[in-house]
Amino acid sequence: MPLLEIKNLKLDFKQGDKMLRAVDGVSFSMEAGETVCLVGESGCGKSVTALSIARLVPTPPAIYPEGEILLNGSDVLKMGKKELRSIRGGIVSYIFQDPSASLNPVFRVGNQIKESLKLHRPQAATDDEVIRLLKLVGIPAPESRIRDYPHQMSGGMQQRVMIAMALASEPKLLVADEPTTALDVTIQAQIMELLLDLKKRLGMSILLITHNLGIVGDIADRLAVMYAGQIVEMAPANQMLKRPLHPYTRSLMGSVPKLGHELERLNAIPGNVPSIGFMPTGCRFHPRCPMAKSDCSQKVPELVQVEPGHWVRCPYWSES
Amino acid sequence: MWQYIAKRILHLIPLLFGVSLLTYMLMWMTPGSFYDNLKQNPQISPEKIKELEAKRHINEPFYVAYSYWLLNAVKGDLGYSLAYKMDASKLISTRLLNTFLLSFFATVLAWAIAIPMGIVAAVHKDSIADRALSSVAFMGLSIPEVLLALLALMLAASTGWFPVGGSQSPMYDLMEPGEKFWNRVHHLILPTLVLAASSLAGIMRYMRSNLLDTLRAEFVTTARAKGMAEGWVIYKHALRNAINPLLTIFGYSLAGLLSGAFIVENVMAWPGLGRLTIEAITSKDYELVVATVVMATALLVIGNFIADLLLAWSDPRIRLK
Repeated sequence: MPLLEIKNLKLDFKQGDKMLRAVDGVSFSMEAGETVCLVGESGCGKSVTALSIARLVPTPPAIYPEGEILLNGSDVLKMGKKELRSIRGGIVSYIFQDPSASLNPVFRVGNQIKESLKLHRPQAATDDEVIRLLKLVGIPAPESRIRDYPHQMSGGMQQRVMIAMALASEPKLLVADEPTTALDVTIQAQIMELLLDLKKRLGMSILLITHNLGIVGDIADRLAVMYAGQIVEMAPANQMLKRPLHPYTRSLMGSVPKLGHELERLNAIPGNVPSIGFMPTGCRFHPRCPMAKSDCSQKVPELVQVEPGHWVRCPYWSES
Repeated sequence: MWQYIAKRILHLIPLLFGVSLLTYMLMWMTPGSFYDNLKQNPQISPEKIKELEAKRHINEPFYVAYSYWLLNAVKGDLGYSLAYKMDASKLISTRLLNTFLLSFFATVLAWAIAIPMGIVAAVHKDSIADRALSSVAFMGLSIPEVLLALLALMLAASTGWFPVGGSQSPMYDLMEPGEKFWNRVHHLILPTLVLAASSLAGIMRYMRSNLLDTLRAEFVTTARAKGMAEGWVIYKHALRNAINPLLTIFGYSLAGLLSGAFIVENVMAWPGLGRLTIEAITSKDYELVVATVVMATALLVIGNFIADLLLAWSDPRIRLK
């Protein structure tokens, strides 16, 4: 049984009388110990998909018209409040984009980590355990740091505290929603290294949400690329990085600047992600696709398996 | 910390100097004088009035009169009330207790009701309770304080449940101690209710919008993601942050209720500082006006200072320097 199995997940936001579909039929699964990266531009639905795993998207305004999210075999979308509280932290923990906003400014960091312990491992809710966790995430002099307030720490340190807080409850799955986007480039590398190290040491599954394909190579076992609420390509990481098949994935990779290559301009994908509620007909990527055919605006492509474990939502994938 | 307090007190000195100078000047520049009434009285000789005017430096230039006042003020004497024929500071101190009692109970009452109301409205946003509370608040904001005070007086007069105005009965001096206490309380109830009702709506709306903002903050999602029960998420994580901006408002309300009490005190004949100030202005009892304005300024600054201390205590990001 996979640790996480998302089947045909659909999520609507109610806005006035209209229903706006933010996630449209996303399916993927994760085995225990596996690291999956969900990649896509802002607004493609990757964050709400990740937040849905612990039902953290407020309903209303969100509605789940269809789909299942099986976490350890039970459907999160059918859980009551009490059950949800036990899986939040208990099975799946989160770290978010902006650590300075994600930590409560008026409580000491030690206190905030201890809260997580009290909820899920009450017998371990001690200063010693907090110090051990801070050490685990590489915070120097943790004995004195537990009495700090979040604003007394740098962004990188704050994100380490968030990770320590997420690990405190010993989850099976860590969801990292753009954990390095708000940090300096050097700190980004440190945090990614820390996640990689923790993954190896604790054998935990990680779902990494990012828009930056440049950082996924070292850590990901599998990649899923999302566009406009749908998965457009999914494959083992090395396979996709070596040979991306969907035109969108190729454009995304082309837009990652490489060290040592002289560039006149950065390669950006022309146009914007279609805004929710104004989806193009046919293939949703066709207005921005460099190799769009005449029938791309009519035919809705399906996600098909073209090689073992490699799924693509483009009928012309073989033309690359 | 002590350095900070000392600094704040030192800031008060030039402020009070400026405020007293401006008020004194304004009172001096307006036409007429307190003695104009006496001059109409044939029983008082013009010589006597000249003597009184000379004693109070009425006919000398403004800066001379002000200098005399300032010299005394530095020694702690805030001037002399011509109407009451006593020291302004002594007069104010007798009225200050009345105003303080009224403002204090009104503030406590308003906050004790408004804060829970705001929390309920924010937590159950768009529910029937929220709409009902918002309508009450809207009414509270729309009804002028004067009208509310008059309605309260009408209620007192027609039902006899409450005394109509004043702070004590005419027979007060003949009462037993227990009776005296009840008599005071009985007189205090209506003005307190009116004054509290007028500030309640604003505080409630502010609490509601602050808590709604905080409930959208990312650290609230973090707290939920930990598996915390919704009640704890709201009352520990969200409320603790939502209350901080209200502490500033609280400081203003400490001083603001003293000026807000102008209307209630006048309409409901409450012998407080607000009423005294209005009387002093209309009768051109100029040194009393200056003394009350100086007092009100000091209270406003002290109120803000208390708010700053509370905020520093409540929010670890703020350090007093």
